[in-house]
Amino acid sequence: MKSSFPIFLAVFVALGASFGGFVVGGISQLGTEKQTTVLNSTDTYPLQRTGDATLGLQVYRAQGCAACHTTQVRQDGMTCDVVLMGAGKNLRAVQKVLGEIAPADKDLATNQLPKTIFSGVTKEVAGDNSDKLTGAGAKAEIHINATGADISRGWGIRQSVAEDFLWDYPVQLGSLRAGPDLANVGARYTMNLQLQHLYAPQSVDKNSAMPPFKYLFVVRKKINGELSPDALSLPKGIVPDDSEVIPTDDAKNLAAYLVSLRADVPLYDAPFTPTVSAPAEKK
Amino acid sequence: MNVNENKISVSEIDASCRVPLLALFGGAALWLVIGLALSIVASLTFHKPDMFANCAWLTYGRVQPAANDLILYGFCIPAALGVMLWIFARLSQIPIVLPLLPIVAANIWHLGVVVGTLVILSGNSTGFLWLEYGRGAFVLLLCAFFLFAISAFATFGARHHRELHVSHWFLIAALLWFPWIYAAANFFLVICPVRGVAQAVIDWWFANNLIFVWLALVGIGAAFYFLPKFAGRPLHNHYLALFAFWTLIIFGTWCGIPQGAPVPAWLPAASTVASALLIIPLIAIAKISVKTVYGANTQCKGGPFCYIKFGTAAFILSSLMLIAQACPHFSRVVGFTWFGPAQTQFQLLGFFAIVILGGFYELMLRVMGCELPYPKFVRVQHWLFIAGLVLLVGSLAVAGIVQGMKLENPKIAFDDVSSATLIAFRFSTTGQLLLLLGSFLFAANIFVMTARWKFGLLKSGWKALNAPLQASEVKS
Amino acid sequence: MNHDLSNSKSQTSTHLTVPIWIIALMLTLIFLGGVYFDHHSGWFDAKVYGPYQSAGQLAAYQPLSGEAAIVAHGKQVYEINCGTCHGPDGMGMPGKAPPLAGSEWVNAKGFHRLVEIPQLGLNGTITVKGQPMNFPTGMAAVGSAMSDADLAAILTYIRASWGNNADAVTADDVKAVRASVGGHHAIDGDVELKTIPE
Repeated sequence: MKSSFPIFLAVFVALGASFGGFVVGGISQLGTEKQTTVLNSTDTYPLQRTGDATLGLQVYRAQGCAACHTTQVRQDGMTCDVVLMGAGKNLRAVQKVLGEIAPADKDLATNQLPKTIFSGVTKEVAGDNSDKLTGAGAKAEIHINATGADISRGWGIRQSVAEDFLWDYPVQLGSLRAGPDLANVGARYTMNLQLQHLYAPQSVDKNSAMPPFKYLFVVRKKINGELSPDALSLPKGIVPDDSEVIPTDDAKNLAAYLVSLRADVPLYDAPFTPTVSAPAEKK
Repeated sequence: MNVNENKISVSEIDASCRVPLLALFGGAALWLVIGLALSIVASLTFHKPDMFANCAWLTYGRVQPAANDLILYGFCIPAALGVMLWIFARLSQIPIVLPLLPIVAANIWHLGVVVGTLVILSGNSTGFLWLEYGRGAFVLLLCAFFLFAISAFATFGARHHRELHVSHWFLIAALLWFPWIYAAANFFLVICPVRGVAQAVIDWWFANNLIFVWLALVGIGAAFYFLPKFAGRPLHNHYLALFAFWTLIIFGTWCGIPQGAPVPAWLPAASTVASALLIIPLIAIAKISVKTVYGANTQCKGGPFCYIKFGTAAFILSSLMLIAQACPHFSRVVGFTWFGPAQTQFQLLGFFAIVILGGFYELMLRVMGCELPYPKFVRVQHWLFIAGLVLLVGSLAVAGIVQGMKLENPKIAFDDVSSATLIAFRFSTTGQLLLLLGSFLFAANIFVMTARWKFGLLKSGWKALNAPLQASEVKS
Repeated sequence: MNHDLSNSKSQTSTHLTVPIWIIALMLTLIFLGGVYFDHHSGWFDAKVYGPYQSAGQLAAYQPLSGEAAIVAHGKQVYEINCGTCHGPDGMGMPGKAPPLAGSEWVNAKGFHRLVEIPQLGLNGTITVKGQPMNFPTGMAAVGSAMSDADLAAILTYIRASWGNNADAVTADDVKAVRASVGGHHAIDGDVELKTIPE
């Protein structure tokens, strides 16, 4: 072959296809994403991060935290629980049904309610059994749970979805877990603990491999031997007794960002039944 | 081939590449050394976490991307352009057209790498994997690439021998590929950012198209040029090579979206299917390479032939690691572990750097018209690189699988998962040291060669300075 | 180096054809890939994330069973359709609508009247908690276009919220009442309302 036209064609066809699919398709589908509502609620999600947390994302980016931390929870599957909420008018009939579907609970008394009759079953099994219980006049609910190793580790309640990152620029998903996942770290660490962890990670978690970010803090002598209001309350032995550690604005913003990281409300695309009230109302 | 009277001598063609190639390779060698040194600095954090606690510029999250980008943008791409330019000139059987452009391009490119590295280390990176350099460096790198591409296309267009070589397909495609992906990714992520997780999708698309597809196009394109030369026989099956080319770019370009990413299911599903289909070009490339070199009576003795053979084999292996990462079940284990970095390092240093270094050692003697200053270093570097890669990639890949299996078991505390990988860093850091040592040998060869050449130019005086190409045209 | 790189013989390559088995392997993989994609992609649905495999499966796993879910759904529909006048807290608004919280009409044992009010609309004076109220605009037949399930969810919600405590209303109940509703004019105050059986 002598003409170079086929090479141009090949590149145009091949790269053009994936450009159309991933870049144009990705932008038109995910780049136009809007706020959504929390499942079974009128609360919008996600809310814009606060000003200091938005600045904190820039600190997170500048330090390259995403080199070691992911902010995405993976989900392997979903299971259902059937919870008997009330026995209704005819306890006998309910007990009879229970004897057929769950012999262990056949002597159920009303004061034991609500009680989980089945857990970790598929939607079909849960639906069938809950229908049988409702047929006997009982009140049964099906609870949806997201499952997976990340979720069992307590890194989240459900998987991360696009909405969780709606307001972020740059989106810091991360690709390596040299450190734990941070998608819900706001639910685990308070602001003060976060700052202490940034200054001296090993004082919070003895075996942590995280480098301390001391350059985000100022160590200075205590004024009149008193801690300033801004100073970290650290365990003894990290800094000399006559010194105190003052977080810089960067450290405060970063901690605010980390505290703002929580993606634990049910959404249509990541459904689950909250065991307690939705966290949006918990504040 | 028609032998016409104004046929240009081979040494003249080679000599025309001299200054552009020295500019491209000189900087590349420097960046390889600095990049590997920085990656050692980064890995020190795992041996002693509080080592750089007070130094923002050397914190792991900055040094690590800076080191990776130096190896990719500093070494791999300019060195690839150098080899590409020489192959174009040789295949066209003419001296480089517009030789000033690649020289200017090389300098702008290296300036862009300096700017980008400082941007990352000072904490101004964009935060996007493999795109950390930001606007300033983006403009410089893209301009440099355009200048280079003009000269490369002009050299290609003016070819005497009109028939396309297999390598032409791969290399021309690479020339078209880079500006498209680099400009598109920077436009949508840095210049005019899109909203939400679409950023991550574009970043994955870019990273895969650069690190997997682009490097494969150049590396395999160069290997398909050099392997028949070394083996002294034609490339096995021209059409199978074109088949490999088409399937590589059609399937390869859709890979790269990780399983379990927080994006709608069709994106990772498309990547999984494309990754499985990648097995087709891999089989084709393996078959062509083996059939071309098998039974050839050329001894390689740690020379360039060995480099290219090893590099091609490394391509197959690292691509298989890439495919494995996209498998639904295996990806669950190795996702977010050190297996990913192991694969990337293998792709960059095991496959690409080795193939390009092999090409470099082969072409540099001809381009400079003299022997290498330290010919033995070639062989030593080969073994240092192989040993270093086995330690680096092997330990990280095993650590990744172990880490992944422990992560899958929620009963194992996260600290125990991390500490299980610490032993691997002893091996991987040793591997990085060997690689650094090897890159020193490469740098020594090219810098001494450049110094000698410049010294020779000075010695032969003003006249030689005016016509440096003629002065060293006599082949030793 | 003992061989010349510009050796023209090795610039060309042998021209064999592409082996048929590799094409067959490719076609097989494309077929299997298509099957995999069909099962796992959710067909480009923006809401389907793995491990969910399709929009249908995702819909099945929505926690929308049991009374709690109906109440939650009712809250959503109520706040869009009714909350602007009756208030998101059910306290009503002066000049717009009477309170629902603690209202004897809402807490009534039966639900007939409660279905008919949104179905037909309401004008004139209505007495709530012993206090006669008159609203110039009255209430339009906002419920007439709603589905049985939505209206039932709203009624269940208002009967279970803000201190109210009355039985749930099912979609079948709403359907039955709707079928029996006579005229198409708005109900004229509590005078006419009281003529409707509880």
